[in-house]
Amino acid sequence: MKTERWQQIEAVLQQALDLPVADREPFVRGACGEDHGLREETNSLIEALGQAGDFMEEPALTRDAEVLVTALPDRNVGRTIGSYTLVKRIGAGGMGEVYLAEDGRLGRKVALKILPLSLAGEQLARFQTEARAVSSLNHPNVLTIHEIGSEADTHFIATEFIEGRTVRELIDEDAVSIEEAVDICLQVGSALQAAHSAGIIHRDIKPENIMRRPDGLVKVLDFGIAKPNRALGTSFSTPEHQTEIGVILGTVGYMSPEQARGLAVDERTDVWSLGVVLYEMVAKRLPFTGPTKMDVLASILERDPPILETGRSAAVVLILEKCLRKDRSERYQSVAELLANLRYAQEELSHEAHSDLIGRGGPPWPPLVGLRSTQARVAHKLGRVPELSGQSTSRRKAVVVATAFLVLTLGASIAVWLWQGRSGISSQVPVQTKLYRDMTTEERLAFIDQQEQRISAMMGDRPTRLNRDALQAIEKNLSQYLLLVEPDSLNDIVQRAVPYVPLIAKEFTAQKVPIAIGIYLPMIESAYHPCEESQYGAKGIFQFLPGTARQYGVAPHEMCDASKMTPAAARYIADRMAELGEDAQSMTLVLLSYNRGPERVRNELRELRGTANFQRNFWTLFAHRERLDDTFRNESAGYVPRFFAAAIIGENPQVFGLNTPPLSSLANR
Amino acid sequence: MGTATSDNLTGSLRAWQEGDLAALDRLTPIVYDEIRRMAHRLMNRERHAHTLNTTALVNEAYVRLLGDRQAQWTNRSHFFAVVGQVMRHVLIDHARRRLYQKHAGETHKVPLEEAELMTTERAQELVALDEALALLREIDQRKAEVVELRYFGGLDLEETANVLGISVMTVRRDWRAAKAWLYRELNRS
Repeated sequence: MKTERWQQIEAVLQQALDLPVADREPFVRGACGEDHGLREETNSLIEALGQAGDFMEEPALTRDAEVLVTALPDRNVGRTIGSYTLVKRIGAGGMGEVYLAEDGRLGRKVALKILPLSLAGEQLARFQTEARAVSSLNHPNVLTIHEIGSEADTHFIATEFIEGRTVRELIDEDAVSIEEAVDICLQVGSALQAAHSAGIIHRDIKPENIMRRPDGLVKVLDFGIAKPNRALGTSFSTPEHQTEIGVILGTVGYMSPEQARGLAVDERTDVWSLGVVLYEMVAKRLPFTGPTKMDVLASILERDPPILETGRSAAVVLILEKCLRKDRSERYQSVAELLANLRYAQEELSHEAHSDLIGRGGPPWPPLVGLRSTQARVAHKLGRVPELSGQSTSRRKAVVVATAFLVLTLGASIAVWLWQGRSGISSQVPVQTKLYRDMTTEERLAFIDQQEQRISAMMGDRPTRLNRDALQAIEKNLSQYLLLVEPDSLNDIVQRAVPYVPLIAKEFTAQKVPIAIGIYLPMIESAYHPCEESQYGAKGIFQFLPGTARQYGVAPHEMCDASKMTPAAARYIADRMAELGEDAQSMTLVLLSYNRGPERVRNELRELRGTANFQRNFWTLFAHRERLDDTFRNESAGYVPRFFAAAIIGENPQVFGLNTPPLSSLANR
Repeated sequence: MGTATSDNLTGSLRAWQEGDLAALDRLTPIVYDEIRRMAHRLMNRERHAHTLNTTALVNEAYVRLLGDRQAQWTNRSHFFAVVGQVMRHVLIDHARRRLYQKHAGETHKVPLEEAELMTTERAQELVALDEALALLREIDQRKAEVVELRYFGGLDLEETANVLGISVMTVRRDWRAAKAWLYRELNRS
């Protein structure tokens, strides 16, 4: 076939493929005229595409992974580094490859981790310093480090070689009993306690990093070594994050809320992650899940884990509840506290094994600091732990609150379950069967509340349940969006934003601005007008007043150019956030600052002084709107709900009958 | 800031892109390591990750080799292109040996354990795909590149568009046309 002929065929083919299936054949007939060869070629290609199905859709890298692993020579095997001869590769991860090696001097087996080439300079030095600190721990549950060394360009760490299984493998094989789970956590906790007292935080406790020897001794690996990047968390699911070592793929499930937000971590982060591991070992599933990384993070930030019904150990249920508190000041404040309760659980389980009677006997529950209503209620229900003392009225209140909590948690977990069950693994897009337009008012409000919480959490705001008033403000805006355009063209409008999402994600991440602001702001700003139609319109990009644009280096004729406008917008918002300082933690304030300037925001905030920072969220501002000046009140009651309405459409296109994945999911591509 | 090694790598990438075939020889072992590592992760420890994403893995390989400060598009593009090409060579070579072994009735060419990993059908499909791809390259080079980057290099639409300097929409259209063309080619009786 000649190139020219192919071009001719392809032109018809592409046009035909843009048409609905039924219209293709007539179109091809018309387009090809008397050229029967052209028609046959085009039709056979259309037919082939129809039959091709998932042909080539799974990358060869995935499909033939096993072949590649075996077929590709490993240059390192047989190589000698320092006094170590590499025998075979036993693991690979973000922070390097691990080989079984022979130590020529001492004739023993070691595990040799070869660090990535890109680790250099200050980063490498810090890494080595920390490895040295860990090597001085000398704790039976911490993997012993023999040597931190280098040869030529290769930096390595030699550790003791453990013949055992990772907890990941044990979980996969369904080989962990609840007693073993508690035992593993006791040993990991012991290692953590030693590390914490030496000022070392693990930061990446997960089943892959815990090994158990055949004799039952547990070793924690990658101590202070596998370290999620500190810059993580200014926004989510950005292309940059995919390349962050240790963060990629599957590890987000063990992250603490503070890690997910990119805040500084302390020992309570390890408490959380160990809680997640315990939960997974006992429940055989993760407490926080979702079809995409972003959903997992949102779940960590906003959802309570499904309540565990072990039926075996009330103590384990309570321990999990206390490890997995979003607010770290409500968690175990030290591993020592956690260990005390784990020992109790261990006794409880062995006692149960002897008495074989649930709810009778058992050792006394050690004093628990900050046992809250839920715990009290769960404990009380299980009849194992005395109720907290307190005023009877406050207790009654506590029971009411706890009941509401349980109902909400169960409701949420059922919703999550249904949602995941429907979406399946192959489709990354959550499927909600009911269309927004078919929902009753109550269903709409419930849906909006749920989504507002999710979106707030994605952006760092503390989610709060909204009252009807606030819900209706968002609902009104949603209706306006829907009325703004004919239903069919809503799809076109969202689609128009699609190609720009990766660019926005990239630029906004670079400026440390939550990408959600970048994705949904243009939807409000543009009122859905494409740039060509309106001076302030956008096509999935940002628009400024010409003066602001010029200030950020965008000439008037460039105002429709996404590649110019997007970085400018990211810088502009980052500047507003910098001016807001600490208040920039509230997405609502950032939005208002974007629209009204930080000075006005600051003035108005003075009115609200005394409210805790997390209360500067949409709901608080909305609830106190009578105390704000006119402009600010209107913004809080109008602009911000409008943002949520845009985000709700962008995040749930299928609920609005749109044929596109959630916009945030496109940030990954 | 890069290490001496990553500077060499950058140089080799550039030389290869400028037509120095020996540079590809220097790059291949390094890329082998990376592909093997990616495949290893895909096979083992990340099987729980729903969000598994080959583009992310290739990006990670790039950062590991060249550091995130060297995130220039040209380097990245060269690197991704090399990965796609090396991956195709590795798989096709393996498939050929697999078929050769079968036809010749020899078992010592490929260790048994290794041979069993790829079915005869898959080996045939890969060899046929490679031949069809060569034909496609003659009439439409860009489409062949799209296939190499996406199918063999594991890149998604967006990253493929970046590497080739074309729009995502164009990649999408190229992909569907190439897919139709190759599928038809492979299924000609």
